[in-house]
Amino acid sequence: MRGDNLEEALKDVLRHEVSVKAPHLEGLEERIVAELEGRLPKRGLVETLKQLGAPTRGARLGQLAVIGATAVVFLLVGTFLVGRAPFLGGGPNKTATMSAVAESGNAVLFLMPAPGAQSVTVVGNFNDWEATPLSDDDGDGIWTASIPLSPGRYEYAFVVDGRWWGQDPLADEYVRSFGDFSSVRYVGRAGEGA
Amino acid sequence: MKARFWKTCSLGVLGVVLLLGYSGVILAETTAADVEQALQALSLSQSEKILEAFKIGFVQGNLLPEETLRLVTRLTAVEGSPAEKEAILLAIASALMDSLPGKTLVDKTLEGLSRGVPLSQIGRQVSIRVRLLVEVRDLLYSKGVFVATEGQAASSFLLPVRFDLLVIHIADALGEYLEGWGSPLDGFLLEEVVHLRLSKLKGVVIPVEDVELVLARIGPADLARVVREVLDQLSERTTSLSE
Repeated sequence: MRGDNLEEALKDVLRHEVSVKAPHLEGLEERIVAELEGRLPKRGLVETLKQLGAPTRGARLGQLAVIGATAVVFLLVGTFLVGRAPFLGGGPNKTATMSAVAESGNAVLFLMPAPGAQSVTVVGNFNDWEATPLSDDDGDGIWTASIPLSPGRYEYAFVVDGRWWGQDPLADEYVRSFGDFSSVRYVGRAGEGA
Repeated sequence: MKARFWKTCSLGVLGVVLLLGYSGVILAETTAADVEQALQALSLSQSEKILEAFKIGFVQGNLLPEETLRLVTRLTAVEGSPAEKEAILLAIASALMDSLPGKTLVDKTLEGLSRGVPLSQIGRQVSIRVRLLVEVRDLLYSKGVFVATEGQAASSFLLPVRFDLLVIHIADALGEYLEGWGSPLDGFLLEEVVHLRLSKLKGVVIPVEDVELVLARIGPADLARVVREVLDQLSERTTSLSE
């Protein structure tokens, strides 16, 4: 009972103290921060660079960041120059400009039913007529490959166990080329290609 | 002491990173020198003329060195006479000398090689395609569609890339039509073939206004004349070769 009275008395004192001091506590954190900022010496560029050179952990991290950023900038500038400067093997590149127009790249599905086949590939003007393999992971005889292509017109044919197959049922059209058929897909037209 | 050590290490790392970055970027580029070296393996009699044309193509952006290197490497790997291989390269070189796009011709050649088509047949098809590119380009000029140079801003002056796209696709459509044994005399069919091709690429690969500009200016008679010119030149060439 005596303890309870004592506790109550302490609470009263605290309440009184808080009510008296409360206006002073408002904005205390901001005031402290502002005062500390005012007392800190202003660091110039030279000081900052010196700090980077100091052997503290923070400074070393700073050094690494500067090195990394510089390397990235140099690489970007280098790549840009190689693409632009004829003396670096670049020069104007209409082909690159054309493909840059359509960089989005739709994944186009190539599908060929070939049960029992040992290998199925697709060749076309998107891979310089060199074989890109199709796969049949579940062994159901349906061979597929998904190839990202920029919008455009693509000629192609399947090669099943070394034999050319130029009439893909999913093609948009067929053309005769070197006395044989090739399939054609138009990628990028509204609702088509992908 | 410790500070100096860290500074030295940092500078060393920076140097290595920059060196690797630059050498990586530069080494990845195929150059005319690589193409020249690859051409030597073909033992051609006119390799200098071909290389010169390729270099012009590289500078004008009508062909990339890596595409050319791929072509020469594939030609080297395939069996056949150097003369037949040279005939294909000379046909492509003539297009490049005439500032025409070369990629479509390289594609045609690579397709033929991949299909195992005889080199003489590939050479003939590539020659037809070169003639078509020339004639279509000249047709566009005659219809008032030009390549824009700096400062020209009329609707019929197109940027080189856009002009080339029209030339490539019109010539390609006509070439495929002829390869598929389409009648070279039927101007209306020729127009339909070109119309279909450009319509399918309109707004996706070729700007809408360019397609509309060209379709409004060329007609069946123009296209029939283009095809007739190409076939006439080809038969003249065949006759002179057989004489």
